[in-house]
Amino acid sequence: MSARDHAISYPKFLWRAVSMATDGSWLFYTWMLVLTAIALVGANAWAQQTVDGMALTSMSDHVSWGLYIANFTFAVGLAAGGVMMVIPAYLYRDERMHDVVIVGELLAIAALVMALLFVVVDLGRPDRFWHLMPFIGRFHWPISMLTWDVIVLNGYLLINAHICGYLLYTRFIGKKPDPRWYIPFVMVSIVWAISVHTVTAFLYSGLGGRPFWNSALLAPRFLVTAFITGPAFIVLTLRFMRGATRFAVPSGPVATLVGVMRVTVIVNLFMLGAELFTELYSGGSHAAAAEYLWFGLHGANALVPWTWAALLFNVAAAVILLTPALARRYWVLNAACVLAFAGVWIEKGMGLIIPGFIPSTLHEIVEYVPSTTEWRITAGIWAFGLMVYTVLMKVALPIVAGEERLDRRGAPAKPTAPAPAARDEEE
Amino acid sequence: MAEEPTDPTSEPAKEGFDRRTALKVGGATLGAAAFARALAPLTEWTEDLSVDGFLQKHYKELTPEELSAVLRRHEAETERRYGREVTIRDLRPQEGVSFGYALNLSVCIGCRRCAEACHIENNHDRRTQTSYIRVLEMTQGSFDMEHGTAVYDHEAVPAPGKYYMPVQCQQCDNPPCVHVCPVEATWKEEDGIVVVDYDWCIGCRYCEAACPYHARRFNWERPVVPAEEINPNQSYLSNRIRPQGVMEKCHFCLHRTREGRAPACLEACPTGARVFGNLLDPNSDIRWVLENKRVFVLKEDLGTRPRFFYYFG
Amino acid sequence: MPRPYRSTHARTTPILLALLAGCGSDVERPLADPPGEPTGQVRISAPAWLDSLATEVTGTDGTPLRLRCESCHALSPSGAALPASAEEAGAPHTGLEVEHGTLACASCHDSERPDRLRLASGHVAPMREAMLLCAQCHGTQHRDYQHGAHGGMQGYWDLSRGDRVRNHCVECHAPHRPAYPRLRPLPPPHDRFPPVRHEGDHG
Repeated sequence: MSARDHAISYPKFLWRAVSMATDGSWLFYTWMLVLTAIALVGANAWAQQTVDGMALTSMSDHVSWGLYIANFTFAVGLAAGGVMMVIPAYLYRDERMHDVVIVGELLAIAALVMALLFVVVDLGRPDRFWHLMPFIGRFHWPISMLTWDVIVLNGYLLINAHICGYLLYTRFIGKKPDPRWYIPFVMVSIVWAISVHTVTAFLYSGLGGRPFWNSALLAPRFLVTAFITGPAFIVLTLRFMRGATRFAVPSGPVATLVGVMRVTVIVNLFMLGAELFTELYSGGSHAAAAEYLWFGLHGANALVPWTWAALLFNVAAAVILLTPALARRYWVLNAACVLAFAGVWIEKGMGLIIPGFIPSTLHEIVEYVPSTTEWRITAGIWAFGLMVYTVLMKVALPIVAGEERLDRRGAPAKPTAPAPAARDEEE
Repeated sequence: MAEEPTDPTSEPAKEGFDRRTALKVGGATLGAAAFARALAPLTEWTEDLSVDGFLQKHYKELTPEELSAVLRRHEAETERRYGREVTIRDLRPQEGVSFGYALNLSVCIGCRRCAEACHIENNHDRRTQTSYIRVLEMTQGSFDMEHGTAVYDHEAVPAPGKYYMPVQCQQCDNPPCVHVCPVEATWKEEDGIVVVDYDWCIGCRYCEAACPYHARRFNWERPVVPAEEINPNQSYLSNRIRPQGVMEKCHFCLHRTREGRAPACLEACPTGARVFGNLLDPNSDIRWVLENKRVFVLKEDLGTRPRFFYYFG
Repeated sequence: MPRPYRSTHARTTPILLALLAGCGSDVERPLADPPGEPTGQVRISAPAWLDSLATEVTGTDGTPLRLRCESCHALSPSGAALPASAEEAGAPHTGLEVEHGTLACASCHDSERPDRLRLASGHVAPMREAMLLCAQCHGTQHRDYQHGAHGGMQGYWDLSRGDRVRNHCVECHAPHRPAYPRLRPLPPPHDRFPPVRHEGDHG
C-alpha cells in the first residue's frame, strides 16, 4: 500500500473505531453510563479541589501524599503487569499467547492513563502542568526521579499505543503486520515495563529521610506485585470475555498466567516476611512505621485492619493458587484473582505510601484517612480507566477476530474467513 | 469488558444507521454538557488566573524588566485581594556572604517565641498558625525524636526533665528537596539559602516527602492574613503572601538578612540561643561558635550537610 | 566549617541545560555587593533599674518617675550603708530576696557606697558596668557573650550596614536571683490534623 492509500484507510480506521466504540447492547450502554456518572462525580470533585485548594483532602504537612499517590503507584504496577502477557508470548515464543497479548497491552494503556491522571489530581497547581514538559518548562532531568517517571510513563504509553495501534490497523486493512515495525517495540516494551515500575519504586526508595521506603527491596517487590495484579486482572478479563461475549480465548493463556501468579504471590509473601523480619527483629525507631502499619503506634491504628486484611487476601490467594483442587474450580480461581488484586491494592497503595509519613521525619504521628473529595476523585479516575479499557477492548477485539475489516463491516464473520480467536455464537 | 454481541438486524440498514448516529450524537452532546457542568467550578478559578501569571517564566529566566513587572503585578494583586499596600522586592545574594545559623540547646527553653516571630514576619496563614519553626520538646537522656513532641503545652517552660530543640529548614548544602523537584522550582542560592519560586512550583509535594527535617510547608489553601497584620516589607523569594497550592519554607528571612539584618526568629529569642552570620567572615560570631563549641548537625548520617548547627554550651 | 556549596547537581545542570537546547536560558544577574567595613556600633542596652528606682510619682506621659540611686546613697552615705544581709535591707529595699549562690551583699556592693560595685581588684565601678563584675565569676559566659554566643542581639549581623544592640547580663539574670525565669510558652502549633500526643508513654 502506498502512503496515499494509508491516507485514506487510516482515517477510515479511526472513524470505524469511533463507531465501534459507541455501538453496543443496552448492557454496554448501561455500563458506560454508570462509569460516566462516576467519572463526572470525580471530575466535579477535582474541579472543586482545584478551586478551593487541597485543603479539601485529608493530606497534611505530615502526610503529604495520600490516596492519589497510593493509587498512582498501584496503577503503574497494573500497567507494568499488563505487559506480563508479552513476555511468554514473545520471549518464550508461546504462540497461544499471541492473540491475547493485546488484552494486556490495552490494560497497560488504560492503567497508564489512570496513573497520569492520579498525578495530575495530586498537583496543587494543575494550571502549571506545562512547567513539567521537557523543552517548554524546566525539566529537572536527570536529577529528579520524578522527571524519569514522566519520561518512562509517557514513553511506555506511546510504545504500547504504537504496538496496539499498528497491530490493529494492519489487521484492519487485511495485511500481515511487518515484524520490523512492532517486534523491536515489543522487546523495548518488556524492558520498559520493568523500568517503569523500577523508576516508580526509586521515587520512594531514593528518599533517605524516610526509612520505611529507603529499602533496596522496594523495586523488586513492586515488580513482583505488578506481576500479580496484571495477570489477575487479565485472567478475570479473559474469563469475562469467555462468559459474556462472543470472543473467547483458549484456556492456554489463562493457565500460563495462573502459573505466573503461583510464583509471584509466593515471592511477594516471602519478600513481605523478609521486610517485616528486618524491621521488627532489630526494632528501634526505624521500625516505628512498620509497627504503626501492623500494630498501631501510641493508639494510632487506622491502617491496622486494612493491612491485616491485605495479608489475609494475599495468603488466601496464594493458598487457592497453589492448591490445584481449588484452582481448578472456576469461581474459586476468580475469587483468588480478586483477592490477590485487592490485597496488592491495599498493600502497595495506602499500605506503602502512608506509613512512609507515619511517624513523620520529626517522629510525630499524624494519621490520615482520605476525605470524601479524595474518594470521589479516585473513584472517578478508576471509572474513567475502566471506560478507556472497555472502549479499547470494544474496538480491538472485533478487529483482532477479523470481523471488522476495511472491506467488511459488522459481526457475522464469513465462514470462509473464520476469526482465529472468536467463538461464533451463532453456530 | 462489556463486549456485547451487536444485534445483526440493526446493521447496516440506512435508516437504522441514521437513527443510531443521531442517538450517538445526542448522547455525546449530553455527555459533553454534563462534563462541562461537572467542571463548572473551574470557571471561577480561571477568572482568578491572569494570562500573565499563567505564562510567567521561571524566576531565573526573567529579565530585570520582566521581573519588575512581575513584582508590580504581585503588589497590585496583594492590594486587591488583601487590602494592604506592600512592597515586594527582589533581593540578590551578596558576594562574599554564605549564611550559617547555630542554636544553643543549653539555653533554649522552648517558649516558641521564635515560631511566633516567624509566623508574623512571614505573613503565614492565620487560621493554621503556620510557622517554619517547630519546637520539639525532648526528653532528658534521649536524643531520639521518637521521645519528643511538638505539641507540649505547659504552664511554664522549661518543664522538668525536658530540653528543647527548635527545628526549621537546615539549608542543606546537599538538599534532597532541591534534587527531587521535577521543575527546578526550588534551588540553592549563592549565599546558601534554599528558596522556592512560588510562581513556578507545581505543588507535587515531592520535596515535602524528601525533606528529612519537616521543614517544608504546603499551602493547602489560600493564606488568610488580616490587612492590618500583613508585614508590608516583602520579597519575591521570601515572605510575600504565597499563592494557593504551592510549597514554601524557611528562607532565613532573606528580605532581612540580605540587607544585613538578623532573622526575625533570632531577634525574638529571649534567651539568646540563636547565632546567625556570615560563614565566610572569619571574625563572625557564627564562625567563633563553629570553631569553639561542641557543634553537631541533625541527621548527619543522611549526608544532607546542613548549615544549621546545634550546640551545647 | 561547611564546604562552600558546590553539589554535583550545580555542576551538571548547566551542561544538561545546554544539551536540552530549548529549555529557557537563565538571565545573568549580578550578586549584590559584599559587606564593607564594620562601621556600625555595638551598644549594650542597660536597663534603667540598674541605677535608678521607680517612684510612685508619674510623669506627664504616665510612666513612673525614676529616682537615681545616688539620690539617697550619695547624700546620706552612713544611713544607706550596706546591711549585713538582705533581710536587714531597709526601705526602699525591704523584702529583697537573694538567691545567688553563697554570695553576701559585700561580694558585689561597695560597703561605703552600696549603689556602686566593688570588683575583686578593689576597684569601685558604677552599676552600669555590672558586666565586669559578673565576668569575674562567670568567665565562660562572658567569653561566649563577647563572641555573640550568649545573650542574644537585635539589629544587624552585618555591622557595615547598621548597628547592633546587645542585652545586658541583668536583663535576663536579675542580679539577686539570676536563674533565668521559667516562661509561659506560646500555644502549640495549630495543625490541620494534630499529632497524637504520647509524651507520657516514654516519660
